[in-house]
Amino acid sequence: MDFTFLMGQALTNGLVIGLLYLLMAIGFTLVFGVMRVVNFAHGEFYMLGAFSAYVCVTRLQLPFLAAVLATFVLTLILGWIIEVVVMKGFRGDELNGMIATIGLAMILQNGALMVFGPDPQSMPAVAEGVVSLGPVMLPMSRLYVVAFSLAVLVVLYVFLMHSKGGRALRAVVQDIEIASAQGIRAQFMYPLGFGIGVALAAIAGALMAPVFSVSPSIGSTPLLKAFIVVILGGLGSIPGAALAALLLGVFESVANTFMSSSFSDMLLFGFVILMLIFRPSGLLGKAGR
Amino acid sequence: MKKILAITALCLAGTASAQEEIKIGAIVTLSGAGASWGQAMLHATELAADDVNAKGGLDVAGKKYKVKVVPYDDKYQAGEAVTAANRLVFEDKVKYIIGPVGSAGALAVTPIVDKNKVMMLTLGFTDKALGKDKPFNFRPNLTTMETSQPQINWIVKAKGIKKVGGLFPNDETGQQIAQDLEKAYTKAGAQLNAKEFFERERVDMMPLLTRLIAKGVDAIELDGNAPGTAGLIVKQARELGFKGAIIRSGGPATSEIVNVAGTSAANGMLVNTPIDPANAAVKAYADRYFAKFKKRMNGFSPAFYDGTHMLLQAMATAGTTTDTDKVRVALENTKDFKGILGTLNWTGAEVYGVAHQISAPFYIARVQDGQEVIEATCSLTECK
Repeated sequence: MDFTFLMGQALTNGLVIGLLYLLMAIGFTLVFGVMRVVNFAHGEFYMLGAFSAYVCVTRLQLPFLAAVLATFVLTLILGWIIEVVVMKGFRGDELNGMIATIGLAMILQNGALMVFGPDPQSMPAVAEGVVSLGPVMLPMSRLYVVAFSLAVLVVLYVFLMHSKGGRALRAVVQDIEIASAQGIRAQFMYPLGFGIGVALAAIAGALMAPVFSVSPSIGSTPLLKAFIVVILGGLGSIPGAALAALLLGVFESVANTFMSSSFSDMLLFGFVILMLIFRPSGLLGKAGR
Repeated sequence: MKKILAITALCLAGTASAQEEIKIGAIVTLSGAGASWGQAMLHATELAADDVNAKGGLDVAGKKYKVKVVPYDDKYQAGEAVTAANRLVFEDKVKYIIGPVGSAGALAVTPIVDKNKVMMLTLGFTDKALGKDKPFNFRPNLTTMETSQPQINWIVKAKGIKKVGGLFPNDETGQQIAQDLEKAYTKAGAQLNAKEFFERERVDMMPLLTRLIAKGVDAIELDGNAPGTAGLIVKQARELGFKGAIIRSGGPATSEIVNVAGTSAANGMLVNTPIDPANAAVKAYADRYFAKFKKRMNGFSPAFYDGTHMLLQAMATAGTTTDTDKVRVALENTKDFKGILGTLNWTGAEVYGVAHQISAPFYIARVQDGQEVIEATCSLTECK
């Protein structure tokens, strides 16, 4: 088949996957920005989001949109509680905070294993059928993901840029001390930032649940990708994460389409290593403090 | 005083009439990834033991023996399997072992059981599980080695397939299976001309499938992939508009694949299956299994039910429960055993150097609305 088919298919696949990475990475970088903690449990919230959507849709018979909203609210609350109960002592403590999140990840994953069992579950697709643009096939189920992710990103943008809470959150990300001095209540912002961060991961999980399968071990790959994205984009930088996520999605997809999978993975990590050597602050990140 | 005497007498009477016991050890996976297979094997052995015990025990050289199953969980790990084997052989003093499930475990415990002349019925798919130097190892289930060639011959001919593409996990298992399948397809007159290897945790198959489809393959092969991954491949291939055949040449996983891919995407998939749903004996067995264990049986279970019965029959024929050299020979000489799977014989002399591999019928099924519908019945030489 011809080049237009391959290229068109690769680009559209890449964009869809890029949006997934974007949701993951923004949450990840937000948590880092606020707490200065690398959240190793981020992938497990993706998994929890997927299970939450799965339970809402298959057991409670909720419509998909309601399931995604319920997932967001539930994980926001869960994230808030975890921040206050577990992470409070590790705010700004990079090393110990990181170890705490590794423990948290294990607890969440094994908890899911005990509750849901190890077998992969499947959720019914949100939409059946395929839209074809010339030779390029666009599965409806993935177009839904695109629409939902874009909607979530718009809401997040409006919240961060044009609301009081969002401004306060951004201020905390930029400089916690100055922000506190200006009267922002940090005690309130830490759990909010953590909650929103992990809830974004959960939304990504909920959106991808009908596209992929649902099992307790699905969190590790998205976590790895979120890492790569924030390294490329600059840790703590939200526009950097957005740019890097889309670039990564498209790069991966195109490389996988035209090269063997193992070679394109090597190429990708080679690229990440070069980035770390020559521009450790990432595409749009500021130099470390 | 009278009372004590009476009790003592009762006790003595008790020991006098107590039956002799045959202990069968089981090294099976009861937790983690291989749990469904391990349970299937253990429960099969238990059901076979129930059969014999319900008749008052196994009659060996005029004495009745009760059969008792002693299970240990190996967690699908070779190290745990070795621990279990040591306990079974040296503490529980068993002479017969069912298991292990995994290839690594089977290879790891072989030296222990062989040295102590303990007979072992293993599921392990590796071709090294059987051999002249492992005289006490038997395998009551079919592996890809036995089933792939006749099955591929039939599919290639019946479905007119010329170009096959396959996605395989990028590790030892995946590479080996890709190589074996490539040979089998070439022999059958088709070509496995698009192979893609990927990391096991990958979930987005779209780019790889795009490439396969662009090469114009008639069929996609799923062998070697874990059930969940295979389901994702099926789902995404159909989403990309792939209309060709989807084939799974080995590893019973249909229900899991249908679960992940959805009923409509899995329709038309051609799979290898050890079980004919129309077989009344197997159906009765499956119902009995469900009634007792409240779980649907895995496809490997009937093979081990038959295998345990063959082993017990061999003890009866040999007239001993302790001399495993004699029991081994009796088991080897078992011919045309009527099991629930059909007529069973031992084979494998050319491949493994020793005829300790079961030869059982198997089937090619088409998946229709989530159920397997038999398309062809196979022996180890051909499918019809």
